[in-house]
Amino acid sequence: MLQENLFYLFLILAGLAVAVFIYVGLSTRRPRTLEYAAVNHLRKRLFLWFTGILVLFLALTLPLMPYPNAEQRPDRVIHVDAKQFAFLISANPITPDEASGEEPVDQPTLNTGELIEFRVTSLDVTHGFGIYDADGNLLAQTQAMPGYVNRLRYRFTQPGTYSVLCMEFCGMAHQVMRGSLKVVAADTNKAKP
Amino acid sequence: MNPTNLSALTNAKPPSAALRRLTLAWFAIMFLLFPILVLLGLVMRAGQSNWLHKLSPEYFYAVMTLHGLGMVGLWFVAAMAVLSYVLKRYVSVSLWASRLAMALTVLGVGLLIACTLVGKFGAGWYFLYPLPLHPGGAWPAWSIGAFFAAIGVLGVGWLVWVLDLMRAVSRRYSLTASLGWHYLRGRTEPEVPPVVIITTVTLIAMVAALISAVIVLVLFLMEWLKPGFTNDALLMKNLTFFFGHLLVNLTLYLGVAVLYELMPAYCGRPWKTTRYVALAWNAVLLLVILAFMHHLYMDFVQLHAFQVIGQISSYLTSVPAAVVTILGLLALVYGAKVRWTLASLLLFLGVVGWVIGGIGAVIDSTIVANLRYHNTLWVPAHFHTYYLMGVVLMLMGAVFHVCQELAPMPENPGRTRLTIVLLCLGGYGFLMTFYYAGAHSVPRRYSSYPELLSKGVTAAQVSTFFIVLFLAGLVLYLWETGKRWRKAWLLP
Repeated sequence: MLQENLFYLFLILAGLAVAVFIYVGLSTRRPRTLEYAAVNHLRKRLFLWFTGILVLFLALTLPLMPYPNAEQRPDRVIHVDAKQFAFLISANPITPDEASGEEPVDQPTLNTGELIEFRVTSLDVTHGFGIYDADGNLLAQTQAMPGYVNRLRYRFTQPGTYSVLCMEFCGMAHQVMRGSLKVVAADTNKAKP
Repeated sequence: MNPTNLSALTNAKPPSAALRRLTLAWFAIMFLLFPILVLLGLVMRAGQSNWLHKLSPEYFYAVMTLHGLGMVGLWFVAAMAVLSYVLKRYVSVSLWASRLAMALTVLGVGLLIACTLVGKFGAGWYFLYPLPLHPGGAWPAWSIGAFFAAIGVLGVGWLVWVLDLMRAVSRRYSLTASLGWHYLRGRTEPEVPPVVIITTVTLIAMVAALISAVIVLVLFLMEWLKPGFTNDALLMKNLTFFFGHLLVNLTLYLGVAVLYELMPAYCGRPWKTTRYVALAWNAVLLLVILAFMHHLYMDFVQLHAFQVIGQISSYLTSVPAAVVTILGLLALVYGAKVRWTLASLLLFLGVVGWVIGGIGAVIDSTIVANLRYHNTLWVPAHFHTYYLMGVVLMLMGAVFHVCQELAPMPENPGRTRLTIVLLCLGGYGFLMTFYYAGAHSVPRRYSSYPELLSKGVTAAQVSTFFIVLFLAGLVLYLWETGKRWRKAWLLP
């Protein structure tokens, strides 16, 4: 998982920083004269290296932004309306009766391999639409905001039941706001009438 | 850095009795509120550990709101109080604005306590639109009014204080001088200390932040009081994070300003304004105003250009911090005859927290990483690092420094070591549970965790042990600082 790998990267970088501070802190046991010219030389080198690394990471990561590419069409559109404290998930736009709870929402089954576009909005406050796998790993998310539709595209690779959790604090039952997505292997779903 | 004028570093002008009393009164507020707010944090983590079955979600979120707003506000006023005190060497600080801010802060805190602990108002510290107006029966209308009144009272008090401090600086230095622009042109006269430049940069941005808060408040009130009026959620979110991000980030910079002023005296070396320092802090003014956009990465409808600007500015903000301030501090300390006291150790360790929190923040400000980290416990992990183990430690060091300067008493080295060990062990242990849980996708702001997020429960349980350790270190700190505070308070 990306987030776990980044955790290890964080630990390594934080460890290096701590080591530098310990080294500098211990250096005060043997006082010496500071060479200001050497500090300025180091500053220039640090500036170039540090800025260079940041620019490199910008160049590598900005193209990976998760925002929809207008030139690529999704295989399927799924509508998601969030409200305190539930997710309404449907293959069709949510009707007012479905939104008010008078009619049930016919939740679709999704296929692996499909590029799915979740069109996510909110009927009341701001919520978050977070997709979790069965092991509790967050796979993707977007915010559900009143008055706006956020388009999150995701391609499931494994069949199974995925949980949808609210990722933006939305009130007293935020912690139990749930949804689910059933994903089947592409061939299995096509075989059904 | 120029090794001349060393004597000027230690010749701090004694404060007037009025300034001393006022500064000590601000410290007393800190001594009282900080342990209480830490205890509220402990209550939340104990609740998430499933150890407090009577802690309902309503109370959890009310406590969360009070803890967050309380901490943000407390350390802002503590930073302003310390800064006002140390700036007396250079500018004539008036006291009326600080007194007004104190009166309004006490009133605001009273209103906050009433609306959260009594009224169960629990929309979180940045009260994201439109949640305060949609309580779902959890909090009554009066608590919404009390909350908005509290924000209004605090905002007015703090804005007046900030403007008055800017006025004090402007009476001694022109705007271009206080921003250090003549250093950019290669001139070193008039000499402007770094604390003045950082204060100017920070307070300019702070005014923008507080004005943004006022706009958010007015828009909220219009919707609340005028039926049919509805705000734009994306605009409100941009304004909210412009205010919220800046307030937290700038409080850290106020702590750094104090660091620049106090640390040289312990190292026996000067830390003066150079072209690098001036350039760095002017760059910060531009970058810090843009970096708030990283809070809206998961709002896919936001202009994509803003998302890119958010990542670029968040990354680049770390350049002046690393290349100028952090390297400057390391050079200041490296091989120096440092007088290691509780104050200098806390100031030094505060920079460590700033660096570690900064690493976590830069990772999270990468859009593709934010897709997995946004609103998980990684977020409180990194902001608690540069807050609790960053600016809070810096300001705790500064508060001890001021009390020690006013009422010198010999330090017990063993007790100082124990205090530092407990604060660091407790603080970083507590933070690691946040990072661990964030890396395992545990969302923030959950009063309890479902089976799917069982790692969140484990992390919360472990964290309570470390919070108790931190509290033990805090008690020792308060004991040592409190002795000096009392003696200083009783001075004629």
